[in-house]
Amino acid sequence: MNKHTITLTIQKTGLHTNIQDTGRIGYQEFGVPSGGVMDRTAAATANWLVGNPATTPLIEITLMGPSIRIQGSAQIALTGANLSPQLNKGTIPMYETLTINKEATLSFGKAINGCRTYLAIGGDWQVQEWLGSSSAATTTPSTLTPDSVLQKNSQLKIQPRFFLPKRIYEVNLRPIYSDPAFIKVVPGPEFELFSPYAIASFFSQTYTISNDSNRMGYRLIGKDLKIKLKREVISSGIVPGTIQISNSGQAILLMRDAQTTGGYPRIANVISKDLDTVAQLRPREGIRFELKQKGV
Amino acid sequence: MKSFHPYGEEALLINFEQAIKETIHQQVIALKTAIEAAQLPSVSFLIPAYCSLTVGYNPEELDYETLCVLIKNLETGATPAINNQTRKLTIPVCYDEEFGLDLKELSTDKQLSIQEIIKLHTTTLFRVYMLGFLPGFTYMGKLPESLVCSRKTSPRLRVPALSVGLAGYQTGIYPSEAPGGWQIIGRTPIPIFDTRKEHPFLCQAGDQVQFEAISKKAFYKISKKVEARKFNWKQIGCEGKIK
Repeated sequence: MNKHTITLTIQKTGLHTNIQDTGRIGYQEFGVPSGGVMDRTAAATANWLVGNPATTPLIEITLMGPSIRIQGSAQIALTGANLSPQLNKGTIPMYETLTINKEATLSFGKAINGCRTYLAIGGDWQVQEWLGSSSAATTTPSTLTPDSVLQKNSQLKIQPRFFLPKRIYEVNLRPIYSDPAFIKVVPGPEFELFSPYAIASFFSQTYTISNDSNRMGYRLIGKDLKIKLKREVISSGIVPGTIQISNSGQAILLMRDAQTTGGYPRIANVISKDLDTVAQLRPREGIRFELKQKGV
Repeated sequence: MKSFHPYGEEALLINFEQAIKETIHQQVIALKTAIEAAQLPSVSFLIPAYCSLTVGYNPEELDYETLCVLIKNLETGATPAINNQTRKLTIPVCYDEEFGLDLKELSTDKQLSIQEIIKLHTTTLFRVYMLGFLPGFTYMGKLPESLVCSRKTSPRLRVPALSVGLAGYQTGIYPSEAPGGWQIIGRTPIPIFDTRKEHPFLCQAGDQVQFEAISKKAFYKISKKVEARKFNWKQIGCEGKIK
């Protein structure tokens, strides 16, 4: 059993690489979004593959992967999007426990499918928390959660506990990302305020994820809904997965870092399981919505 | 009067009478307080707003229907107005033209002298209706009719931290530097969001706030004390912990 501290050094940042855990809960009433991993199933699976409790932080990697030097013997696992991961320039499998002896460099290449990859490393992460979570803060993250914003030369220390016998996540349980994605929703709080034509338009079209999409929310490109609401909407709390319709009829799908209050009408809410699927959608891919049937 | 609505699969939205009124908001806060006191199983967060309460819960711990029944059965008190937990804060503000970036323009628009604007702002007892937009950003209301104004047509890229502003029927304080379209009339030396503290938020929904005009000299004096951690928080009515 090797108890030597693992050190991670970021050599190249990638597009958007940060530390997330299951989120900052209980501070939404003070204007603090919960944040946390965008694809909760993929993150939980990655932590399971290395024997970590589900609340352990991990690294969320978006579209263009980083280059990370891992020093020390470690067990790692990758789940979610396939961004062509390599260890010391050799292709490695995803959804399996991988054991690194002494040291290796993890890098990525072409984005084959999906949007976000999760890198879990077995052990206790020595990462500062803010309000009970290591998730990178949504505003001034470098000040509030300096350890969680990974940039060139950032270093991270992890204290391993034990090594597991290899685990493999069943192939037929691994997600298949389709384009367009069919996303189940439940009616939003203002569903009844929309006209039948607006509702029909919302459910019959294929929206496209715009480039202007991130952890706060995805702007959807599509036919604007003609909205003429029966009453004004007074600002109310916002939860991840809420689909708002702006004054011009555009749909915005709010995600984990979205502001905690808002005043636009909410037509629908993505069901929990399908929000993980949304997290794997890339700009320019398609998304369609369908109403979740009761009892399903 | 109240309506319950599923809000995604992990939250419940309780809508009260849809209007911005102190009496309605008192009901929101009374219910929030009651839910917290009852420590209902599965409830993970609450977001009070003008006339609604969002209840975040874990559906694997408790189902939606049962949660609704538990909440409906809570005693919220016959007169929600009697809430001896209401805190009243007196927040000092310097309305000097160095800080009141939009005072001159507002004075012209509203046909009020700057002195009159300051008087109206400092003699109204405001209520914190909700926090949102940024950690610690307060939405307070209501402004007297003569001060009601629209947001700036060209929002600022950077509103200085702790600026005090007006928009619509609301007044509020920017906890940190941020882009924003509110009409800025002054600045407070009091950090309403202080990350040096374990609980970094000064205000919470339900608080009453009175603004007090101070000179530039007093502004800098208080700022220094706050910086040196020598400020007496009792001075502004802030006693005890919020949570």
